[in-house]
Amino acid sequence: MISNYTKYPNTWDEMFDDSGSIRNTYKNFESFLKRTPIETLLQMQDFSSQLFMDHGVTFRVYSDNKGVERIFPFDILPRIINESEWKIIDAGIKQRIKALNLFLKDAYHEQFIFKDGVIPHELLLNNKNFLREMMNLRVPNDVYTHISGVDLIRNNDGDFYVLEDNLRTPSGVSYMLENRQISRRLYPNLMPTSNVLPVDNYPEILYQQLKSLVDKEDPEIVLLTPGLYNSAYYEHAALARLMGIELVEGNDLVLDNHHVFMKTAGGLKKIDIIYRRIDDDYLDPLNFNSESVLGLAGIMESYRQGKVIIVNAPGTGIADDKAMYVYVPDMISYYLNEEPILKNIRTYQLSNPDERQYVYDNVEKMVIKETEGSGGYGMLMGNNATKSMIESYFKKVSKQPHKYIAQPILSLSSVPCIIDNELSPRCVDLRPFAISGANGIKVCPGGLSRVALKENSLVVNSSQGGGSKDTWVIKD
Amino acid sequence: MLSRVANNLFWMDRYVERSYGLLNLIKTNFNSTLDSGDYSSWNNILSTYLGVDEFKQFENYNDSLSIIKFILFDPSNANTHLNMIIKARENARSVQEHISKELWLSVNKYYLHITNDGILEKFDDNDPINFVDDLLLFNHIYYSVADITQERGNAYCFMNLGKYLERVVQSIDFISVRADKMDLNNENIYESFFWKNLLASIGGYQLYLKKYKSIFSSENVLEMIVLNDNFPRSVRYSINKLYIHIERLYKFNGLTDNNLLFRIGKLKNQLNYTTIDNIKQEGIHNFLSFIQSELKDISYNINKTFFYQIQ
Repeated sequence: MISNYTKYPNTWDEMFDDSGSIRNTYKNFESFLKRTPIETLLQMQDFSSQLFMDHGVTFRVYSDNKGVERIFPFDILPRIINESEWKIIDAGIKQRIKALNLFLKDAYHEQFIFKDGVIPHELLLNNKNFLREMMNLRVPNDVYTHISGVDLIRNNDGDFYVLEDNLRTPSGVSYMLENRQISRRLYPNLMPTSNVLPVDNYPEILYQQLKSLVDKEDPEIVLLTPGLYNSAYYEHAALARLMGIELVEGNDLVLDNHHVFMKTAGGLKKIDIIYRRIDDDYLDPLNFNSESVLGLAGIMESYRQGKVIIVNAPGTGIADDKAMYVYVPDMISYYLNEEPILKNIRTYQLSNPDERQYVYDNVEKMVIKETEGSGGYGMLMGNNATKSMIESYFKKVSKQPHKYIAQPILSLSSVPCIIDNELSPRCVDLRPFAISGANGIKVCPGGLSRVALKENSLVVNSSQGGGSKDTWVIKD
Repeated sequence: MLSRVANNLFWMDRYVERSYGLLNLIKTNFNSTLDSGDYSSWNNILSTYLGVDEFKQFENYNDSLSIIKFILFDPSNANTHLNMIIKARENARSVQEHISKELWLSVNKYYLHITNDGILEKFDDNDPINFVDDLLLFNHIYYSVADITQERGNAYCFMNLGKYLERVVQSIDFISVRADKMDLNNENIYESFFWKNLLASIGGYQLYLKKYKSIFSSENVLEMIVLNDNFPRSVRYSINKLYIHIERLYKFNGLTDNNLLFRIGKLKNQLNYTTIDNIKQEGIHNFLSFIQSELKDISYNINKTFFYQIQ
């Protein structure tokens, strides 16, 4: 089975080096693979799908006006990273989140970084995620982005690069936890001897960090969900359950004298901290989208008066869009006076005519993205596009060039997956989760490894044929 | 506990209980058609349970099979078994952090079983009683799992409110269907058929035989369904349970407005001091409408006391 494995060309494979031998990190796992017939692996694969289904670890997709529940495809072979490499990622993410937090504080207060000309001011003022309501508002412990997910990829040079930062309501952490649960069932002999760093304490760390935001023995913390029909509902319910906090919907909340209360069978109960999993836009119909019924009218005013804490803080979207991404290395040197530990991907601003021309001339090596896009939509992959697709895309770009950026197409590293009864390489990224609070920044060792299950695809998003793997960070 | 969560827990158990009643009724009625060859009895179930009021002609065994299939699986009727389990599971999904993981797994397995792609073919290929028994097993597992894994807090009490309220409503409905024609002093053979079936469908047949031997009189049946202390589906038993859980909820939540507790306590005591002779004196019809109106009131007050804020 291993001998039939054909690597992608010019791609870093997580398991095999260029000469085709197994990397040290995977040595222990290789011995497992060698003694396990493919039939057993396929049984394990079925077992895991059934387990996800039975446990209701599903998301709802809508087709033909009918809601169908699907599982997020899971490949049983773990993606393995060694601890020495992880330490670099860990330090890099902490550095990055620290700088981004300082940037958010600066952007919503004095705006030194713009005044000093490090970042063009219009990037802030034109940003639709910029919230005037956040200006000059002191947030508890100066923490804006309590929960962050940083998407990393490994290029064919073997280094990790940051693909994007997710500072609003990043999701996927429940899959990190579920995948590990399943791995334990799948590898009862292998797990205990593999020295895998634990991720299961994520809910405890998160709870501690949230609790650290108020000076109270037993604060009332709730998780605000858009409800049962949201695609990430499973995650909301799981996190609430694992932290032992209430899972609330907008309808469960009321305001009294700018304090937020939830309606319980025993009357109203005051809430101190809201970990919201709804977007800024839907948070408060009085301030933002007036059609929204998901949030609570007037909650922004409560927040501004310091009567409730909203996590993540509203307005963090200014720091994680694709245009601002370019400047994160500058933020790191500006605020921390440090060299970035994790590299950014070279990014071209299409509002700059020279760069636009360069991208146009080298389009077959480029991916062009909308700065406000997400989920893998609205992109042009230059290597797969026809001439007419490229022309019409550039026509669109020329109307609002500041809304687009381009990056060289990187080859995401590949990992072996079980596809059609054999081992086959698929591209993978990594989203570790960082939690910031009064106790500093904590990063869970590992994260969510997303794989592009389509052959040669680089798109790992779950909405477009992506799946996931458990991520093992193992001690050296 | 959030009012919404409490309300969903209440309905989760109500739907499971209702589905349980429906499944038993299907079984019993199917059996009775095998005995009597009277297939029109399906019309009663269709109208009381599924709100299908137009009278249909059912003539043979195949009609029975297709109507059972309809009662179990019709996706467009909100009261079919399928839709009740979907709703029970939807409620469970929205309160996952408040029920034991085992209970969630059992509801979810029920849901996966009933929504499985091959389920209709499975129905066609199997004996209908066996098929329904397989479904009933999921209900039994649900009750057992709830019993041994669910902590005795708010959630458990709200689930029990739903369960016993639904149960008592069902028991009363069962009797009412027949109450108009009931003549406590003048028995006939058809009555005894009916009562046997009724007892079987609510699982009281064995207990009845033990207590009254094989003598089927309306009076005895009524006494058992309404007043028996140990029959878990009797009105008195269910009302006692409702009282216990409401009292606990008052304690857990520090409630001071005693209206609901007062009403359920009063009804409980009234039933505890009622004999079958009292009911005969009062008239079965009057007695049933009294209980029904009390239940309506209690149900309204449960809503007002615990869930009112959601409206």
